[in-house]
Amino acid sequence: MIAIHNLTKLYGSVIGVNDISVDLGAGAHGLLGPNGAGKTTFLGLVTGQLRPTMGRVLVFGEPPFGNPRVLRRIGFCPAADLGLGATTPREWVGYLVRLSGFGAAEARARADRTLEQVGLAAASCRPLATLSKGMRQRAKLAGAIAHDPDLLVLDEPFDGLDPVARHDLVELVRSWAKTRSLIVASHLLHEVEALDAGLAVILGGRLVASGTAAEIRDLVDSMPAEVRVRCDEPRRFAALACGVEGVESVRFDLGGVVVATRQPTLLMEQAVIRALDAGLSVQEVVAADRSLEGIFGRLVRLHRGVKA
Amino acid sequence: MSDSTAGIREPSRFALLASAWTVAAFQLRRLLTRPRLGLAAIGAVFPAAVMLAAGRAARGRLDPDLSVAMLYALIPEAVCMLGLLVTMCPAVADELERGTWPHVAVRPGGRRALLLGTWLAAVIWTSAVAILATGLALSVANVTDPFAVARILVALVLLSCAGRAALFALPAVVMPKRALVASVGVALVVEVLAGVIPAVVNQATVSLRLRSLLVDWMRWKQKLPTEMQLFIDPQPAWVHVLAVAVVVTVLLTAAVLILERRQFPPSEEI
Repeated sequence: MIAIHNLTKLYGSVIGVNDISVDLGAGAHGLLGPNGAGKTTFLGLVTGQLRPTMGRVLVFGEPPFGNPRVLRRIGFCPAADLGLGATTPREWVGYLVRLSGFGAAEARARADRTLEQVGLAAASCRPLATLSKGMRQRAKLAGAIAHDPDLLVLDEPFDGLDPVARHDLVELVRSWAKTRSLIVASHLLHEVEALDAGLAVILGGRLVASGTAAEIRDLVDSMPAEVRVRCDEPRRFAALACGVEGVESVRFDLGGVVVATRQPTLLMEQAVIRALDAGLSVQEVVAADRSLEGIFGRLVRLHRGVKA
Repeated sequence: MSDSTAGIREPSRFALLASAWTVAAFQLRRLLTRPRLGLAAIGAVFPAAVMLAAGRAARGRLDPDLSVAMLYALIPEAVCMLGLLVTMCPAVADELERGTWPHVAVRPGGRRALLLGTWLAAVIWTSAVAILATGLALSVANVTDPFAVARILVALVLLSCAGRAALFALPAVVMPKRALVASVGVALVVEVLAGVIPAVVNQATVSLRLRSLLVDWMRWKQKLPTEMQLFIDPQPAWVHVLAVAVVVTVLLTAAVLILERRQFPPSEEI
């Protein structure tokens, strides 16, 4: 479905995406990365809004930029909110369907049908400015799917939504993706995991990992995790930690000791118990950084060949 | 997938027109806001107010030809130019600012339809305001044949709007964020300065064509002093109309070609 080879996009001297090569088959795919990682640029290249500086991107076998055959088969829901105060969802979706080449009557019918599908039928004639963020997201999604694309591309679709709206939208997207292809960009791992999508992790414009969510987690788990311990005698604690099985490195940082290990839970048990037995006062133990930023950081280190 | 293409128009020469009209209708609906209607009302009343003030200053003895010349300067020149600056210049910048650009750019032919539709909406909106201004101004102006003058001014308004909107389309796509400033510059340099230079360069300006048509249709050629005749082109009216059509076609084609190749980094869209 999407074939990308050595794809690079530069904005002057700023790198948008850097030498990415990946093949995405039909189905659901999650593009994961922190803000500024290059996700939106990647999606811009896939949806034909941007042209590669180097390399090539093929969608359905053709370059998408300025290609109506490809664009007709793509639905795109960008991250930015719609600044159309007085326009109603019905007008907006109908407008987009007409721009996709449908006649007026068919566009109205599709707009009504899709707004009902996304649960916005009752609010379809209210100005967008009076709708909640979740409802506006649904209106954007309706605009992206009303022309029945083969590939739906969503950029941060759940951003700013409350848990209920997020759950509803996840269900909606998941049911849609059962029969079509989907790419969802997000900076939150659990959002992408909820869609049962394959994952591609992007950071600093580079693709640092790809696979299923389980594969990404295994990859992350296979890397040393860092545990930070603050105690009254860091040097004695470091000496004790070195004796614990599975500890790969120990360093001093900001008055504490940072221990790298592949078994952080075991370290907690053994090193801290030993420290307490030795009469040390342990004030704080901060678990390994399991946040997405932490995972990204570790993936980058792995990508660059750094062990810890 | 069974009904994904049901009802879709086959690509044809009319598909672009239909899409452009869709954009124009959408843009016109968006223009129906209180601030925009207020601006339009000011634009429509302003020439009448000036004519009223001029008539009072001349104690009701304002020369009819001078009245027509003033109406020309106020409506096809000033009102149209200002109206188009407001409606045409933000053609792309507005889309980027409102977050609608990516939605439109990923539609087949969306960029082209956006530009042509916005041009159409700008021409329709500004022409409507200028024609209303013409009616109001003529009701207080001292002219010998108001209906004949109205016909001439309406024709000039339509040509002015079509030509100037196409002219402002270029800054709108080349430098969207500074389109207003650039368009004012273009208006001053091309339409005001180059338009009055009696050389080949003024042949490509809309202002020369409008002035020449006004002189032709008002039958002022014999009355004009010799030195003033340097500022008009004595060719038949159809040549001027054709020249404006050519200017519109060339400028819009150039603007469409530029917009179809434009790329906006994601940071510019938000």
